[in-house]
Amino acid sequence: MKFREIVDSPCGIRYLFDGLELQSGYARKVLLDREMMTDASQIDAAYARLRTYADLVLADRRRVEDMRFRLQGLRDISGTLASLADGATLDEIEFFEIKHMAILAESLAMGEQMDAVIGILDPDGLKIGTFYLYDSYSVELRRLRDAVEQDPDDSQLQEDLANEEDRLKKAISDMLRPYAASLRKTLRDMAELDISLAMAVQMQVEGLTIPSSGCETDIIGMFHPGVRAALKAKGRDFQRVDFSFRRGVPATVIGANMGGKTVALKTLCMIQYLWQFGFGLPVASAVMTPFDDIRFCIGDEQDEKTGLSSFAAEMQRIDQAIAVVETGIRVLLLVDEPARTTNPVEGTALVAALLERLSGKPELALVMTTHYTVEHAGVCWRVLGLVPGTKGRTMDYRLVQTTSHEVPHEALNIARELGIDARWIDLADTIMKQQYE
Amino acid sequence: MPFVGEILKHRSVSIVGLAKNAGKTECLNYIIKRLPLDYFSVAVTSIGIDGETTDQVTGTAKPEITVREGMFFATSEKHFRQKRPLSELYDVGEEDTALGRIVTAKALQEGKVLLSGPSSAVALKRWMRSLKDFGIDLILVDGALSRLSTASPAVSEAMVLSTGAAYSANIRELVGKTAFVVELIRLPLYVGGEPSVRVSSFSSLDAATLKGRRVVEVEGALTDRLLQLAKNALDEDGLELVVGDFTKVFCSQELYRAFVRRGGQISVRMKSELLAVCVNPKAPNGIVLDSDLLCRELSEKIGLPVYDIVKNDYEI
Repeated sequence: MKFREIVDSPCGIRYLFDGLELQSGYARKVLLDREMMTDASQIDAAYARLRTYADLVLADRRRVEDMRFRLQGLRDISGTLASLADGATLDEIEFFEIKHMAILAESLAMGEQMDAVIGILDPDGLKIGTFYLYDSYSVELRRLRDAVEQDPDDSQLQEDLANEEDRLKKAISDMLRPYAASLRKTLRDMAELDISLAMAVQMQVEGLTIPSSGCETDIIGMFHPGVRAALKAKGRDFQRVDFSFRRGVPATVIGANMGGKTVALKTLCMIQYLWQFGFGLPVASAVMTPFDDIRFCIGDEQDEKTGLSSFAAEMQRIDQAIAVVETGIRVLLLVDEPARTTNPVEGTALVAALLERLSGKPELALVMTTHYTVEHAGVCWRVLGLVPGTKGRTMDYRLVQTTSHEVPHEALNIARELGIDARWIDLADTIMKQQYE
Repeated sequence: MPFVGEILKHRSVSIVGLAKNAGKTECLNYIIKRLPLDYFSVAVTSIGIDGETTDQVTGTAKPEITVREGMFFATSEKHFRQKRPLSELYDVGEEDTALGRIVTAKALQEGKVLLSGPSSAVALKRWMRSLKDFGIDLILVDGALSRLSTASPAVSEAMVLSTGAAYSANIRELVGKTAFVVELIRLPLYVGGEPSVRVSSFSSLDAATLKGRRVVEVEGALTDRLLQLAKNALDEDGLELVVGDFTKVFCSQELYRAFVRRGGQISVRMKSELLAVCVNPKAPNGIVLDSDLLCRELSEKIGLPVYDIVKNDYEI
């Protein structure tokens, strides 16, 4: 799975992507085309590199900014380098691109044999990033140019000059060809440097951290950067939350309306993606485990655009996820309030059945939020909810494990707090009490 | 050597034609020929496709842009590969256009080029900023047909206007239409406080929104529809519409005059400096106007010198 496929995931990862100050369009393209890492050792190696740059940001910000300034000159010349490798004869624009890139790499102390490449494209040793077919490439070139300047209307001279230029372009291309592989690697490495530096700077700006890898997921103090920014704009703080889960043990999250269940699920999804794409994580600390596939089932506005009802879209999304789980690969499945748009009788049955359907899957980590009371063998988490003694004014968003799967009844209190029509809510209270009695 | 001295006082000048074949390219070549390049570093480009050997609309011959030794120019990859003098490459932009990326080069000898520069005012501004490391003193921009945005003071500091028989074959009409454009270029700068209302030509509006207002900020284009509403809302205290710059005014002359007659006023946030007006008395359909009469009448009307640079071939 490529990053571009999930960048607009409803988990809100785009906030961090947009906030990434990449210096070149090419690095942005490379990042969007990056495949999700699924191997813990590969992820650990990526974070070891990121840690180096994060340390550099703290230790020598000036050097980092100097490198980033230089990286503004990075261009995507992969097409030119592919042509070179394929045996094509390049033209002046392409020679310029290679020279520009090689000089940039050398200034960043990157790449092998860049001095040899520069030497070919800088026969006068001027060490400047411009290019044309220099007179010094051949005595004949110089002679013909002088002759054409004296007699610009002589078509034979012009043809001879064009032939000599073509001969030289082929000769220069042949001289550069042995360095094609090194140039391609260096180009890619510079894009990766741009990405790593941007991520390292973002870690400092957003307060992101580097986690470790393990067999279970254990997150301390997670936050959603996009939601936190929105709250900050309103003068409010984001309350950090702890959570853990593991494969083979389903987890449900219950709690009051407006208790942050959906935000918690979005945050979990985002953190998993961020980790497997090598970003700093919005957590105080975390132990993470990789998955081959991450599925996030949440209703969004796309459903309306595709003409599906929210129920139909949700059912199809979960159906596809079940099919993926059945393949036996490691799947993280995050489901937000399944069957919430149908009646509670069938809704409860659907949720209970989904948990049953997905039980006994050792490679599946399932986290589901719900408003229905459903018994299951997994772990149940509950939002702490309204803080006692605050008359419904303060919500404690922390999640705690609970043995009771009974959903809390706080909706009416919250509705009162929202100033909803009092007679309506009082009536609902009365009806509810009658039903329970 | 009329008006070239004025050009040298600015960092960026656009040459804008009011119609195709209005003599804009001759005007640009005239300026380039007379620039003191021995102590002045100049870059030239066009917005969008220009500098074709034949006019793509009428098929008439079109002079190419001649760059002089030491001048920087920006054109598309396609046109750079097609025709140019010996040139040293300085930059290849990232943005892709239909004709490839924008290439910036320095001419190492005099020669003709096909100019097809950045395709939008935003891209043009970006290119202009990218020149900062090359020590450029003056940027000339060849504004293409219907791309008056090039002349926006947000893009270039000053402008040269090119008009002619291709715009209108009737001297009186040509003078009237050109004078109207000049009048818009000279709209006064807004000097009051922050207007209390901001409106857009493309939002749902009625005269009541504007009724009783003294100053209204117009976001984006000022269209006939909005100006008509403003005219209807006018009372004895007048109404001032504040637009970004003259390139945002897309109103008919008749409506503009009616608005002004009834006490309305249009002012701008940024003002362009009009350096000169050049005329081309020849139209592609063969009509040739009386050059002297045209220059005289237009000059009297706008109060600025008007030049037929082809006919008069001013000294270098």
